[in-house]
Amino acid sequence: MKHLILSILTLVLGAFISLAVKEKFKVKFCTILTFISAILAIVPAGYILKNGQVFQNGLLTLDPLSAIFVIVISFVCFLGTVYANGYLKPYLYKEKAISSHCFFFMMLIASMLAVVTINNGLYFLIAWEIMSLSSFFLVIFEGDKKSVLKAGIKYLIYMHLSVIFLIAMFAILSNATGSLAFSDYAKILSENPQIANIAFLLGFIGFSIKAGFVPFHNWLPDAHPAAPTHVSGLMSGVMIKMGIYGVLRLLYFIVTPSKTISYTVLAIAVISALYGVLYAITQKDIKRLLACSSIENIAIIGIGIGVGMLGLAYNNTLVATFGLTGAILHFINHAIFKNLLFFSVGSVYLKTHTRDTELLGGLIKSMPYTALMFIVGSVAICGLPPFNGFISEILIYAGMLLGLPNADIGLFISLIISVASLALIGTMAILCFSKAGGITFLGNARSEKASNVKNDVGLTMKIPMGILAGLALLIGFFPQFAIATAIIPASMFINNPNFIEEIGAILGFAQYLSGLFIIFALILTCVMGLRFAISRKSKVHNTWGCGYNKPNSQMQYTASSYANLFVSTVEPLFKKVSHIKKPKDFFPKEAYYELEMEDIEEAYIVKPILDMDEKLLSKFERIQNGNMQQYILFGLVFLIISIIGLVLIG
Amino acid sequence: MIERIINILILLLFPFLMVGIIKKTKAFWSGRKGVSLLQPLWDFLRLLNKETVYSETTSWIFRFSPVISLATVIFASLFVPLAFGEAIIDVKFAFIIFAYTLGLGKIFSLFSALDTGSSFEGMGASREACFSTIVEPAFFITMATIAALSQNFSFTSFKLICDNAGIYGVLIIALVTFTLLIMLLVESCRVPVDDPTTHLELTMIHEVMILDNSGADLGFITWASAIKMFLFSSLIANLFLPTDLTAFNTVLIFLVLSVLIAIIIGTIESAIARFRMTHVFEFIFIMTLTALLILALVTYKIYGN
Repeated sequence: MKHLILSILTLVLGAFISLAVKEKFKVKFCTILTFISAILAIVPAGYILKNGQVFQNGLLTLDPLSAIFVIVISFVCFLGTVYANGYLKPYLYKEKAISSHCFFFMMLIASMLAVVTINNGLYFLIAWEIMSLSSFFLVIFEGDKKSVLKAGIKYLIYMHLSVIFLIAMFAILSNATGSLAFSDYAKILSENPQIANIAFLLGFIGFSIKAGFVPFHNWLPDAHPAAPTHVSGLMSGVMIKMGIYGVLRLLYFIVTPSKTISYTVLAIAVISALYGVLYAITQKDIKRLLACSSIENIAIIGIGIGVGMLGLAYNNTLVATFGLTGAILHFINHAIFKNLLFFSVGSVYLKTHTRDTELLGGLIKSMPYTALMFIVGSVAICGLPPFNGFISEILIYAGMLLGLPNADIGLFISLIISVASLALIGTMAILCFSKAGGITFLGNARSEKASNVKNDVGLTMKIPMGILAGLALLIGFFPQFAIATAIIPASMFINNPNFIEEIGAILGFAQYLSGLFIIFALILTCVMGLRFAISRKSKVHNTWGCGYNKPNSQMQYTASSYANLFVSTVEPLFKKVSHIKKPKDFFPKEAYYELEMEDIEEAYIVKPILDMDEKLLSKFERIQNGNMQQYILFGLVFLIISIIGLVLIG
Repeated sequence: MIERIINILILLLFPFLMVGIIKKTKAFWSGRKGVSLLQPLWDFLRLLNKETVYSETTSWIFRFSPVISLATVIFASLFVPLAFGEAIIDVKFAFIIFAYTLGLGKIFSLFSALDTGSSFEGMGASREACFSTIVEPAFFITMATIAALSQNFSFTSFKLICDNAGIYGVLIIALVTFTLLIMLLVESCRVPVDDPTTHLELTMIHEVMILDNSGADLGFITWASAIKMFLFSSLIANLFLPTDLTAFNTVLIFLVLSVLIAIIIGTIESAIARFRMTHVFEFIFIMTLTALLILALVTYKIYGN
């Protein structure tokens, strides 16, 4: 336990010391400290996961659920700082920005570690707030750009909406218990279902703003692209999952959730996942695309939690185990492949200075390593075997299917619909990532920005990617170890003496999958061997263009045209915004057509509210006009009114 | 063991015959004599011996994709009940592993199409990806409902349908057959969804994605797609496979059923013209509708009383 406190202290002190370190060594200093703190945090967390114990020390509690989060946070953040060494190199001249970046990066890690271990409502909120604020400062790294600042402020507003709901929840709980300690909350939440429902609802709204569930997802696609890439990876891979942590912690306290709440969570998660991936398909900005796919993946975790909650509500331990284990494993997996994807996209951005897929292409030749990493990440995030995404998704599927026998009719239909939705999400993810990977890395370069790239990124950026890709493959091939780890936090939620059998079932299944993948590897080797054995001579020619021999890169399929067929079938879900300049005169000089897909929630709900707000507030402009005499007059009027009021009342 | 070896042999070789039978049927309906039944196999062997031409735009993805297509199809076939009414590996949640493995092959074929930098192949990839978003959910609904009905989560559960659903079983099996038949037509690019023999790149789906593949690569892809078709047809065939026969008779009936399905496909291809691209959507949506009908029927069967 002391290790964990030491780890948080290292980060906080390090953050302050880093202010005094020379600019050149700042990022390196940051890396070393994160490494130390990661070791300090992972050791006790690993111990707890291994032995299933709970450590408590004053304000901090480290149980298996916290431990798994601590490990993921520390590990991913460490890789993020290693990556930052390469990524921030071109920005080193911006001394102030780098300085604040290092400071807030370490504060963010420290606050996240605190959030998942603190056991007191008030301190939880403080840590939560530090986390939101420091990530806000990380987002506005390039704050001199107007769009970045705008995205940052949007993010800040959403985070504070989230805090309002959390404060309300803690207020209700503290009012009912007269205490701020989580242990007292746990008591009342498990005993009083009415309070539990209200608190869960408030908490769920608050936490889902952070996690990015629809309809609270709006900040995500703006904030992620604005931040430097390793920060986006950190935010999407780890920070938004603090929302998931919150939901899980609440669920842990409640013990047996009500059926209505469980159905609500499942429904929201399914809708969010569909919405997230749909929205991701329409994106041209590749970081935005990844941000939208985070909405999808967080929602897949949510589906797992929903299935687990239904299992708990219906007292079906098998379903609960599979659902929750799947959710926790998907949380780990998403941290791995989403960071991998963000890192490879960051490398592309560093080399090409653009995130617009329409301008990229053909990078697999100049950046083979990055391209391979992106492809590994894409296959993993689509949940395809033999990578890690498949393992967590099949666990969630299994949870749903195992719930089918002896279900009541409502559960039966909702589980079948969820199965179909998860399948739909999977295929849409394939569409989305075949587009992202295919247009960005394959084919010919679509602009000079892409064709001018000479070499791949440096070693400090390659190594973190390699580690993540290796992990993705390793968890896929030997799922029994990952599942054995994920099942320990999941087992906290389940109070059933027969539970050991379920663990046996799930681990047996994992072992079986591992065997199957080894067979797959064998088949693949055989087929590849066969292919090499029969290989004849080959020659190189240009791409078949139906007889046309001088194809250029503009004739390739673009990202928009690739997605268009699908997007046009689901069109009412988007608002199409097109900018057209038609060619004029006999010798047209300039013409363009640009199509953007706008989120309907943003277009029809958020924007009108903001417009109304602005209209209302602009009425007050007349009052605040900078005229000192008038301000004095206001004071005078106020005094007179209050005196008259006093006289009348008195 | 011997059963498995026979299964694997049937799996690897029978698909060629099936394609041959489809071609023969089409020839019959159009009044031609047609090529020999084993012509697809000879074509395949000829392709293996030809030299390959690679586009200068392509990378390792393009060369790797045919290999992974074939490997995924063979891996997926391990879970499908074949000649003896049993899968080579009987595993829980087989249909998920089956669908996701085919998905792995699909994403690589999409990547490989985009790898050529051709405008036609991107178009094909876009269509393929788009249509599979409609196919998969319907497949999952069908499989999950049947799994619930038979209380068994592997493909082998089909024979349990009738035992568990009585008179509704016939109706459910009819609908499942219909759904799987459409899926077969879509996934293995047959008329009326796609036409492997057309000369116009603009109207193709899957075929346009492999325009640039040649030689052994093309051979692998045709082999893989023939096996894929055979897998769906054996899923259908297993619906009708009696369980109480000797092993030899089961194989015989399975092969007869497979030939029958091939003839039906050939007849469908001769009777219906290729749909316009917009109608393909509507055609595939029929699958979703039948899947929902199956769901309704099964729900009624389980909870009706």
